[in-house]
Amino acid sequence: MRFDQSMRYVALRRAAAAMVLVAGLGMGVARAASVTLTETGSTLLYPLFNIWVPPFEKAHPGIRVTTQGTGSGTGIAQAISGLVQIGASDAYMSDAQLKQHPDILNIPLAISAQAINYNLPGLNNRHLKLSGPVLAGIYTGKITRWNDPAIEKLNPGVALPNHKIIPVHRTDGSGDTFIFSQYLSFSTPSWANSVGYGTTVSWPAVPGGLGAQGNPGMVEALKQNPYAIAYIGVSFHAEVSRAHLGKAMLENRAGHFVLPTAQTISAAAGELVSKTPADERISLVFAPGADSYPIINYEYAIVNARQPNAETANAVKALLTWASNEGNNPQYLKQVEFMALPASIKTLSADQIAKIHG
Amino acid sequence: MKNLTPFRLSLAGLALIIPGALIAIVFFLTTYSWKAIGFNGFGFLGTINWSLGNLYANPVHQHGYLVPPGAKYGILAFIVGTLLSSFLAILFAVPISIGTAMFLAEKAPANLRAPLTMIVELVAVVPSVVFGLWGIFVLVPLIAHVIGPAITATLGFIPFFNMNNSTGSGYGLLAASIVLALMITPIIATTLYDALNQVPRELRESAYALGATHFEVATGTMLPTVRVTLIGAIVLALGRALGETMAVLMVSGGALNYLPGTLFTPISTMAAFILSQLDSALQDPSEMAVKSLAEIALVLFLITVIVNAAARLLARGTVRVAQL
Repeated sequence: MRFDQSMRYVALRRAAAAMVLVAGLGMGVARAASVTLTETGSTLLYPLFNIWVPPFEKAHPGIRVTTQGTGSGTGIAQAISGLVQIGASDAYMSDAQLKQHPDILNIPLAISAQAINYNLPGLNNRHLKLSGPVLAGIYTGKITRWNDPAIEKLNPGVALPNHKIIPVHRTDGSGDTFIFSQYLSFSTPSWANSVGYGTTVSWPAVPGGLGAQGNPGMVEALKQNPYAIAYIGVSFHAEVSRAHLGKAMLENRAGHFVLPTAQTISAAAGELVSKTPADERISLVFAPGADSYPIINYEYAIVNARQPNAETANAVKALLTWASNEGNNPQYLKQVEFMALPASIKTLSADQIAKIHG
Repeated sequence: MKNLTPFRLSLAGLALIIPGALIAIVFFLTTYSWKAIGFNGFGFLGTINWSLGNLYANPVHQHGYLVPPGAKYGILAFIVGTLLSSFLAILFAVPISIGTAMFLAEKAPANLRAPLTMIVELVAVVPSVVFGLWGIFVLVPLIAHVIGPAITATLGFIPFFNMNNSTGSGYGLLAASIVLALMITPIIATTLYDALNQVPRELRESAYALGATHFEVATGTMLPTVRVTLIGAIVLALGRALGETMAVLMVSGGALNYLPGTLFTPISTMAAFILSQLDSALQDPSEMAVKSLAEIALVLFLITVIVNAAARLLARGTVRVAQL
């Protein structure tokens, strides 16, 4: 009987696959003039692409866009191999990778930021002050208790609990790990020399530490574990506040403690806009300026300048141009807590988009 | 030559597809990871430090290989995590499976037998990601607040069973083992149930006629008869547990650079680690990271083969002992 059931299941699946195939062929015939673009990569950009696609397709009837959230590294790899036209990544490509693939462009689509959240019973409505060196201490296991003198010094008058800290990190490759480890690297030389930065880093063995899968996993780990601390992309702001978790004020390069707000994120971006090079690969982490929030980044589209044909090239250009202009409208960005690109960055992007050809 | 009918030839061709695919996979893994095997040497299996290195710096030459600066690949912690979680899962699953199969075959009311069997079989087809979700939202808090403290209270004097020596978060070795045990129990139970149904009626009736109790019939007559099937089922289940990826990834706590000191410590298994690292490894311009992940896959494959072979030898051994 078991065997029968599994056979029927297989047969059903085949039938479904065949139907999808037939439907796909039918659509291909019906829309012979249309171009289909595929986007894959960053799970942080994925919700934004899903918000963008319907209005974009409405404005460009000949172009269809399919989206997928697979991870930044996958986005870059598949854009390079030509499997997809648009790879989404929270991290820009490295020099070495670009040298191997000189045709690949890194084009910013929006600005994102990251919050440091914690679950401290009784203190979640207070914004604790934390610095890069203190966070580095927590994530290397040198600072193990919430009432450690280093944390108390930053938060005079706060009754910090004498309880073990549970530092939570991402186990999957992630742009969040990339910008968090950059903040620690740029602010704390010992972290830069031992761990460094990347979409995955070799986390020091902290006996009380914990790994979580994806941003949803980070939120869940915080919810379930009092005294835990984690880094979470601001797109998850709604989930974090629903869970009544705390949000830290972070020390910026100027030594001021700031929360991630529209104003502090724009201030940080403003400081580095003029330094953004023509290929637009730059870290916005730990920006100078009194009001700058220290953990922000460009969200990138990774695109091959050489597309298989002129139609595809034009469709890619249309999508990227739309995304970095109309798509930067607050009505779209606000839903994922992203910030719009400054005007001068849009100009740099337009120059890069112009390089795309068939 | 009269045996070479088209029918026979086509059947042979079909039968060769699976072994052919197996050989192709092993061949691919070996050739693809060849550079990593050369770079890592035996330290790969014997050390616990894993780092992709600085993927944003230019690759450097090290022992004649081009790798990202600071890259080191040691997988001992993942081997230990894989074996520990799988063996614990077997330890949990086997008694439950035997009890379930015995109940279904011998003691279940006749009208309940069919629906109960179906439910057990149904558990076997639940996708592993569903087990993972259940693990995160139900099992992990349960371990953190109920199971963990209870084990600590009774066995806490042994450091391995003391939750206070770990994160105390519920994510870790025990959560992974329980999720795995749930996934493999129906495999063992249904196989065993089918085998118990094949035991000749005369055998158990003669045992009863000799005055054996229910318990004696079960342990003295029924179980020894299906011993080989039981070991076969365990091997099958172990294979599933060793290779399980998603569910384990979701509840294991993703340990890196240390070995599990307690039942509650986070672990990483080889399969889960390959999945969680692949995305970042793709950014390595020297490709050593991806090749080292392929080497993990090769080692996992070898471990599965060794475990299988060992279990088969064990099964053959018990058959011989039974025949003596």
